[in-house]
Amino acid sequence: MSRYIIGRIGQALLVLWIAFTASFLLLQALPGDAILIKFQNPELGLGPEQIAALRDAYGVDSPLWQQYLQALGNFLTGNFGYSVVGSVPVAHELLTNLPATARLASLGFTLAVIIALGLAFLATLAPFAWLRTAIQSIPSLFVSLPVFWLGIMLIQIFSFRLKWISVINPGEFEGLILPVITLAIPISAPLAQILIRNIDEVSTQPFVAVARAKGASPSWVLWRHVVKNALLPTLTIAGILFGELLAGAVITETVFGLNGIGGLTERSVRFQDTSVIQAIVVFSALCFVAVNLIVDLLYPVFDPRLRRLKGAPA
Amino acid sequence: MTSIKRRTLGALAALLLAGTIVGPSFGQDTPVQGGTLIYLEQQAHTNLYPPAGGFYPNGGVLNQITDKLTYQNPQTLEIEPWLAESWQVNDTATEYTFKLRPGITFSDGTPLDAKTVALNYDTFGLGNKDLKYPVSEVINNYDHAEVIDDLTIKFHFNKPSPGFLQGTAVIGSGIVAASTLALPYDELGDATKIIGTGPFVVESETLGKELNLKAREDYNWGPVKFTHQGRAYLDGIKYIITPEDSVRIGALLAGQADAIRQIQAYDEPQVIDAGFPIYAPGTRGLNNAISFRPDNPLVADLKVRQALLYATNRKEIVDTLFSANYPLATSVLSSQAAGYVDLSDKLVYDQDKAKALFAEAGWTPGADGILEKDGQKLDLTVYVSLPQPQNEGVLQLLAQQWAQVGVKLNVLAGDAGSRTLDLLDPLKTPVNVTMVGRADPDVIKSAYYPKNRDWLLQKGGSSDKTNFVDDKLNALLEGLAAETDREKRLAIAGDIQRHVLDEAYTIPFFEEPQAFATAPYVNGLEFEAVGRPSFYNTWVAAH
Amino acid sequence: MTSIGSTDILVSKPRNAAGNPLLQRLRGVSPSLVLAWGIIALVVLFAVAPSLFTSFNPVQGVPAEKLKAPSLIHILGTDALGRDLFARIVYGAVHSLTGAFVAVLVGLVVGTTLGLFAGAVGGLVEEAVMRVVDVLLSIPGLLLMLSIIILLGFGTVNAAIAVGITSVAGFARLSRSEVVRVRRSEYVEAAFGSGGTFLSVLWRHVLPNSLTSVLALAALQFGGAILAISTLGFLGYGAPPPTPEWGLLIAEGRNYISTAWWLTTAPGLVVVLVVLSANRISQALGKVGR
Repeated sequence: MSRYIIGRIGQALLVLWIAFTASFLLLQALPGDAILIKFQNPELGLGPEQIAALRDAYGVDSPLWQQYLQALGNFLTGNFGYSVVGSVPVAHELLTNLPATARLASLGFTLAVIIALGLAFLATLAPFAWLRTAIQSIPSLFVSLPVFWLGIMLIQIFSFRLKWISVINPGEFEGLILPVITLAIPISAPLAQILIRNIDEVSTQPFVAVARAKGASPSWVLWRHVVKNALLPTLTIAGILFGELLAGAVITETVFGLNGIGGLTERSVRFQDTSVIQAIVVFSALCFVAVNLIVDLLYPVFDPRLRRLKGAPA
Repeated sequence: MTSIKRRTLGALAALLLAGTIVGPSFGQDTPVQGGTLIYLEQQAHTNLYPPAGGFYPNGGVLNQITDKLTYQNPQTLEIEPWLAESWQVNDTATEYTFKLRPGITFSDGTPLDAKTVALNYDTFGLGNKDLKYPVSEVINNYDHAEVIDDLTIKFHFNKPSPGFLQGTAVIGSGIVAASTLALPYDELGDATKIIGTGPFVVESETLGKELNLKAREDYNWGPVKFTHQGRAYLDGIKYIITPEDSVRIGALLAGQADAIRQIQAYDEPQVIDAGFPIYAPGTRGLNNAISFRPDNPLVADLKVRQALLYATNRKEIVDTLFSANYPLATSVLSSQAAGYVDLSDKLVYDQDKAKALFAEAGWTPGADGILEKDGQKLDLTVYVSLPQPQNEGVLQLLAQQWAQVGVKLNVLAGDAGSRTLDLLDPLKTPVNVTMVGRADPDVIKSAYYPKNRDWLLQKGGSSDKTNFVDDKLNALLEGLAAETDREKRLAIAGDIQRHVLDEAYTIPFFEEPQAFATAPYVNGLEFEAVGRPSFYNTWVAAH
Repeated sequence: MTSIGSTDILVSKPRNAAGNPLLQRLRGVSPSLVLAWGIIALVVLFAVAPSLFTSFNPVQGVPAEKLKAPSLIHILGTDALGRDLFARIVYGAVHSLTGAFVAVLVGLVVGTTLGLFAGAVGGLVEEAVMRVVDVLLSIPGLLLMLSIIILLGFGTVNAAIAVGITSVAGFARLSRSEVVRVRRSEYVEAAFGSGGTFLSVLWRHVLPNSLTSVLALAALQFGGAILAISTLGFLGYGAPPPTPEWGLLIAEGRNYISTAWWLTTAPGLVVVLVVLSANRISQALGKVGR
């Protein structure tokens, strides 16, 4: 087992390094660079000689390999550099935005799981066939709504028309309600689909019939077996969720005026703020490999069938 | 908010006792102290180095936390005393001596003295390569500062610099403490590090989300001619970054915010219907326009540029997309700017004349209706400029109008990098969206001079891909920047406006305002000469 | 952006390789499935022959007619430049459908090829390919997508390629796991045993048996791609004007949500209908697969 773990950690480091290098090359391939975008901006009104002097001061025209080695060296020593757009140390920006995103994402994910469970149970236990079918198609509806549209509509209805919830200067908890819902709804859809499928499968298993024959109620049977079965796919999703949440979060953040990694990523790509992007990539890759490692190690714990296997499905 | 109510009630009671009859409009004209203003800003601020204050979100913050040596009255455009109580200029405008007001302190307690002001201007005028500070756009020909005594400072210029006095009043010339300028440029995006003498102080900040300012109790050095002296009326201002237009407006109308920046013309009716005031101070510089890059062979011919000018129905653009707050431009310069000349007779819409000029220049319609000459199509490209109001709509309408005379205009949306690079290449971008605000004729030089913004992309400017030069224009611009006689200077400004339109370098659309809206109970929201908000005189009535 | 976990949704259970999908499909036809195909057919017609449906010009408007509410003349109203919204939706179909199609195609072809290859060859190659997939998954999709658009330039097809590339990893993982599953099955081992070459076994046995769930994922991604392109428009990475791409119409119309509701609602409903249809078809394909 320990050899397996060391191997996995080696793999993880490799993924990290490739992600760092690939994103460095990708950024270099983009037209222009952060210093050009920032200082050639008419709002500053700088002349050509002044811009040339600044380019020189930032060393943006030095050879690529030199910039790469420097960036890599800085990262290895924990120096993330400065954000060109924000004009603050990158670490400062990450520290401001990570907790906000982590909170939004974890609450959003939790709510998504709850919605998904609710939908799955209703879709199986609802009294009429037509109602069950209708509920089963709700996940499809959820994935077909543009997230920004959903957010704007929620604000218009619940904040501006009904005035139930403030979006501007709200209380700590109040301010999270609508963003979390906006983030959770699209994520809940695929989860609900997995759960509905799981229930379908479980209910055809012979032991369910046995349990029922012994007098267990259908909902109890479903609850016991489905929840157990749903844990694995949910965990797997959590493993690849970070990147997806980022995409969802940027919209939620923009619509609700929140700060977070999503908006930071978008802004940094827009202005090619290399140091910030590199930090985000490394961080996100770190999360990805860590979560996957944990999920892989947990799989056998939750699924006895896998205990015999060395690895787990990717 | 309860404190506001209590105060108002107190004042009310006092007046009633005095036997005065109180009308319903009471409270509208007697400032009330207290309250926190919730202000929704569209974008987060970036670097708060004062010369970077041209970016509106930056200017909106800097204008509250820093003061300037002088104050430009937005009504008269006269320069009035502020941190400096008096000044002298020599005849050649190469030496400026300022006498500072005594007793002024920065928010960290250090006094404002000549040494600090010298450090500020040396940095603004010359930059600081070690700390990566760029120079300020508004300070031309700066040589050095000389500290005469604690409160007297003399600036030396290596060439006449008549625009400098106004330059001391602009947003980019806010004075900050020495400790701020000791930090690297790359750290000035943190508002808490900007130490100024302004009426408000940064209390706390969540980067990219919100910024809290609180009033300085001991502030007592507002512009000398203000009737209001002493501390600001508001206790504080909460800036909240709200990028979505619909959320800012909705929040204002739903009572969740007190003031917002940036409302589009199409949203004005719902704000007005709700009885909320809209403020649209002009930016007093060069109007929202498109400018040609004559190095591109397609627009090198004067006749082509003139034809395009005649083919542009500017009134249709303004009527379709904008409101009364966006007046139709009558020159390249705003009608509220010093030196403005009404040139509407040069800005006529006449499709027939446009067609005739194209024919004269040798352009004939091809099979697809697009004009051709020597096998080349009149196919132009322009990038959308996101900061300009509804620019995408403006350019699409323009494309539609030009299509009627056989000119194809491709409207591009692009990433910042490609856009910046392409805009340096006249072959890729024969047309560019241009606009700049500043209430001094120097702004014209800033815009067109190759060593500054270089709108026409001349040789010796920002692009190494161009050979176009207009010596006559450049000579006029140099004359404008160096002429010390005010009347002569304004006359040169007029000559430049005529020259630019005669050469059809620029097609101005409208005078660009900055649009704000507030709740009805917000009073005394004022704007500096270029439309940045000033909250010093702002107060919130009971509501 | 909706590809979350889609890999897992469709990892199908061992299936009866010798069923008759066609018969099942015909017997199990449901009205909602017919409706779904009908909607897809209609929007394809929009794309092929837009002029059959409207006489208005989608690009050139009449400024005086701006922001008119839906009426008999302009059945879905007009926009801020006086362009007929219905005409823009009809003419936008070709952009949106091409975009979604390209996005799915890129993800499907590149991802499936990678996955099939890795799963079929196994060993070190499989390791290497799956690490590349890991890297793709570990770089935030948003960052990858935006960078690719910047690299390729703004436009519907380029945005679609960017969206497609972000789904490569999902397709690759899915197809690899399918291939591994099929490869281990008895009949494939038998096929190898009876002297089949690697490629022929891949082509005749592995590919067809892995394809149903991959196709179902593709149909699901089709809807997701339209939304992803719309989201890009919202973030300011949409096609240049005056392209009437649906996602862009929703994104731009949102600014008029309280003054001209039809501008964002009408294209929004169209996208919802198309995505729902694509999902319905995807479900049906998934069921056939099982």
